[in-house]
Amino acid sequence: MIAIENLSKTFGDFLALERIGLTIATGELFFLLGPSGCGKTTLLRHIAGFYQPDEGQILFDGKNVTRLAPYLRNTGMVFQNYALWPHLTVEKNVAFGLEERKLPRPEIDRRVAEVLHVVRLEDLALRKIHEISGGQQQRVALARALVVRPACLLLDEPLSNLDSKLRLEMREEIRRICREFKLTSIYVTHDQQEALSIADRIAVLNAGKVLQVGTPAEVYRHPRNRFVAEFIGEGNFLTGHVVVARNQFLEVELGRRRLLVAAPENPGANAGSLVTLCLRPEAIEIAEIQPPGQSWRARLVQTTYLGQIAQHLFRCDEDLLKVAEFNPRPARFRSGERYFLSIAPDDITILVE
Amino acid sequence: MKSVFRSQELNKAASGAGGILRRRFGSRLRESVASRGIVTLYLGVLAFFGLFFVLPIAIAVRGAFLDQSGALTLDYIREIFRNPIYLEGFINALKLGVGSTLLGFAIAAPLAWISERFEFPAKRSLSACLLLPMMLPPFVGAIGFRQIFGQEGAVNALLRTLGWLDQNQVIDWIGAGREWGIISLNALHLYPILYLNLVAALANVDPVLLEAAENLGCTGIRRTWRIVVPLIMPGIFAGGSIVFIWAFTELGVPLMFDYYRVTSVQIFNGLSDIDSNPLPYALVAVTLFGSALIYMIFRLLKGKSPPAMPGRGGHAGPVTVLAGVRGLLCSSFFLAICMLSLLPQLGVVLVSFSRDWYRTILPRSFTLQHYVFALGNHLTVPSIQNSLVYASLSTVLDILLGVIIAYLVIRTKIFGRSLLDALAMLPLAVPGLILAFGYLALTRRGSLLSFLDPVRNPLVLLVLAYTVRRIPYVVRSAAAGFEQASVTLEEAAQSVGASPFRALTRITLPLITANLFSGSVLAFAFAMLEVSDSLVLAQKQTDYPIAKAIYELSNILGEGRYLAAALGVWAMVFLGLTITAASRSIGAKLGTLFRI
Repeated sequence: MIAIENLSKTFGDFLALERIGLTIATGELFFLLGPSGCGKTTLLRHIAGFYQPDEGQILFDGKNVTRLAPYLRNTGMVFQNYALWPHLTVEKNVAFGLEERKLPRPEIDRRVAEVLHVVRLEDLALRKIHEISGGQQQRVALARALVVRPACLLLDEPLSNLDSKLRLEMREEIRRICREFKLTSIYVTHDQQEALSIADRIAVLNAGKVLQVGTPAEVYRHPRNRFVAEFIGEGNFLTGHVVVARNQFLEVELGRRRLLVAAPENPGANAGSLVTLCLRPEAIEIAEIQPPGQSWRARLVQTTYLGQIAQHLFRCDEDLLKVAEFNPRPARFRSGERYFLSIAPDDITILVE
Repeated sequence: MKSVFRSQELNKAASGAGGILRRRFGSRLRESVASRGIVTLYLGVLAFFGLFFVLPIAIAVRGAFLDQSGALTLDYIREIFRNPIYLEGFINALKLGVGSTLLGFAIAAPLAWISERFEFPAKRSLSACLLLPMMLPPFVGAIGFRQIFGQEGAVNALLRTLGWLDQNQVIDWIGAGREWGIISLNALHLYPILYLNLVAALANVDPVLLEAAENLGCTGIRRTWRIVVPLIMPGIFAGGSIVFIWAFTELGVPLMFDYYRVTSVQIFNGLSDIDSNPLPYALVAVTLFGSALIYMIFRLLKGKSPPAMPGRGGHAGPVTVLAGVRGLLCSSFFLAICMLSLLPQLGVVLVSFSRDWYRTILPRSFTLQHYVFALGNHLTVPSIQNSLVYASLSTVLDILLGVIIAYLVIRTKIFGRSLLDALAMLPLAVPGLILAFGYLALTRRGSLLSFLDPVRNPLVLLVLAYTVRRIPYVVRSAAAGFEQASVTLEEAAQSVGASPFRALTRITLPLITANLFSGSVLAFAFAMLEVSDSLVLAQKQTDYPIAKAIYELSNILGEGRYLAAALGVWAMVFLGLTITAASRSIGAKLGTLFRI
């Protein structure tokens, strides 16, 4: 288990990390997600030992490693640009960490072969780094980190240099390996798809702070604030007053409409308080005749066809609403016409401002 | 019994507390061990420079300002400017400095311009050839130069053969304008430094800027003057200051020309009585301040930092491919400059093979006997051995210090690292003669380091002098290597369990071998034929390095000149082979080795 307690770091005047607190369970694939400059790589480099915090501490299985040199932490790090050593072969790159641990040669050979098999690079063991492709280099970097059986695998945007197809393939690969070895892994990325698709849990960071921690579904379906909601997926943000608050449901007045919102953990909104609601575009349904449940009428302003989905823009009083239609058929909905929009109460999230 | 029990308990408690302490502070301790190592290296390097670079110079300069009672005085400095002989020497030194720099520019500028603008046959090999003169010490070339331009030399013989000169008429080319001989030899030796700096500066000028000027109606020479020259000013001054200081303090060439009215030679001649005479110290101080002043003026003229130029992007400069006659013209111009600058060395080669060369264009007959004699001479063989030992040791030391300094400067955030960087580059601007003088002053009888007295054995001092003088090349090439090799490569090694030191030795050092190699080859080659330090510090025949042996041989009447030439040729061949091998093995263009 890795515990990060109250970690702060400034670079000059710039507050890079502000009282970060996180706990990562053994065997968990944990994501640090955020826009560039949010501090996620800085946090990872603290865990690796390349930075020293101004305050706070890092514990590996209860042991304080905050001031421990990187090479004594038994982490394995996969760098964004891979940082493979160009003067060594694939095999030598992978064997390096074991040689530093002064393991007997037969064991080194056995473990290198083993890990190269895991990342499917057995045939390229003797190649130099510049003789293999980007995806293969990525796998060497992974193998080099795995072979030392690290207490914690650190991945710093490991897939950002790959093309999109290879990226999909490699992220499954990483998930498979992490599960197989029951590795505690911390994975830094700015790609929300990557995080949502393979993470056990995600911490969303912005401006040096942790905004929310949760499973992909929790973070996506119940973003705690507008930043998280906007950073992960898209949303329609509507502001209104709570009219009625009764057990687990709120009724929110938006202009002339009222919307029923499920609030199993009511974040302290009472009748009269101002709240912002987040409605995901894909949670809104379009219908020509009025459906059962809550619905309202809106005029279709514009449609953008994206293949897999169509993105519609509806006007409803003052508000513009984005609505996603899956498997869109051309000319099913026409601009200028009025349709019914509906959404289930538990598809609406109340944001904390 | 009770007390035993108590003490055991106490021990246990103490060891328990120790355990906690170790747990709590152990990691902090390890970290501080790493940074303590860095600080130790840093202080060690500073101590080295303090002791063997700053201190000797300070002692040399101090001697100029203290009278016999130890009181502060300016009398000695005043004496330099009052005494007509010293004053003339100083003015002559300035003349040699200015003249060599200007002539060097006159040679280098057209070459650089052509090289930047045009593509012509054999450009690469000719460009490489242009750099050769820098590797061959001009004072060896002086032997050949005198043979060619002397009163009974090749030029007069040629003029006689052509009938332009009477059979008994003699033109004293060297004697009449001895300064010109020295200036030419200096300029022909040093123009590659200017050439390299100019080429680098020109390559940095974004062609878009020229197109913009042309677009506004400014073309040709006017455009060169208004746009190109201001942009390459930093390059001009960077090269110019080095060449000026070099020529201003050059010792070997004036000595070989028997030109004694110049400060450097006056210092050299004053070495014998530095125990009692303050005037050599004053001469050193004046030379050093003169150099520093010029250096500062050049820095000021150059401006604070080179003007920011927009990146070149993918837009290459307008290189015109010259075919046919025009291309051949360019090639022959390059070739002519090469030949001209190698003329003195060519003369040396001819002298070394000639049985008798007097009043003829070429030697009358050729022989190998000088080489045979040279191999059996009591001066030559030991001098080659000595030079090899001195140069090898100093190169090893250079690599060691150079890597440490470059590492501290590039890889750490230690306080004062930019000062260290500047200090490591400063030897480029400090004349070898002055450093050597400082070493002598430092090791005088009764002084701090008298046990290093060079009369007894100059090994330590010569190795140190060579090391200090050539360390900038190694530092610069190592620093370039550290900058190229991404720090994440070291971090990757640390993340899988290598200590910072192991990461450095297993990852970064192998990666920057090529850089280190080119820097150290340069340091080695210069050390092999280092002139001023060798002339000053080697005082016993058995300790002479090659340069001093050549100097001594050339002063011996009769055979001496031929033996000196043979030894010089041997050294040149050796140097040429080293550098060729070096440039082959690193697969780099020769030029990258010599960029100053």
